[in-house]
Amino acid sequence: MVERRAARDGRDDRDPGSSHAATEPDARFTLANERTFLAWNRTALALVVAGLGIVQLLPPFPGVPWGRHVLGVPLIVLGAAVSVTSYREWRQNQAALRRGAPLPRSVLPRVLAVTIAGIAALSAAVLLVSAVR
Amino acid sequence: MLPEDLEDLDPGLAAERTTLAWARTAIAFGAVGAAMLRKEPVAGVIVLAMTPLIWALGRFVGQRAARPELVSRRLLLVTVIVVMVSVLAVGVALLGHSPTSLSQLLPLHG
Repeated sequence: MVERRAARDGRDDRDPGSSHAATEPDARFTLANERTFLAWNRTALALVVAGLGIVQLLPPFPGVPWGRHVLGVPLIVLGAAVSVTSYREWRQNQAALRRGAPLPRSVLPRVLAVTIAGIAALSAAVLLVSAVR
Repeated sequence: MLPEDLEDLDPGLAAERTTLAWARTAIAFGAVGAAMLRKEPVAGVIVLAMTPLIWALGRFVGQRAARPELVSRRLLLVTVIVVMVSVLAVGVALLGHSPTSLSQLLPLHG
């Protein structure tokens, strides 16, 4: 806490972006940032395994031979994207902590929600097409 | 009197939670690898092999203070591994159902 307050009150006012002004943040903030990164990566792995499960374990949709791939592959790709984005956000958070600046807002919750909603809609579409054929 | 932040009583708790988070992440790799093992033995073994690696990365949580730049490299390694597992998974999903030989999987890495 002490270092962080010093960074906020003192030297870094002239140029918050320069590494010159930066100080190592409180270890607890660094550790919390790291845990957040790890939690997103477990989420990413869950998405990958869910996508793989859809492609490999589900029986094919009758009349929609590509149905499982349309649902599963985007989930796997989303997993990779979540992992890469969480690393970028970890770096941004770490930089903000060093400067004593407010943390940038994470885009990941929105990306995750939009994509899962999209997959749900896609699942409904595949099921409908399969039922009609 | 309790301090404002309970962790002021024992700052080691944050490090311990972080070590546990690394352990959970390692276990997640183990679970993904085990789930792949039956249908995709080669890919499953590759993913399973990441479990001890991630576990080992988490062992360094206590000694980080001196070398903050190493933390960045370790986390980048986690992301690289997750992306690699996704590439493997897309390959397995698209190439069909049992590429049991290594030669069928190797082009994915090229």
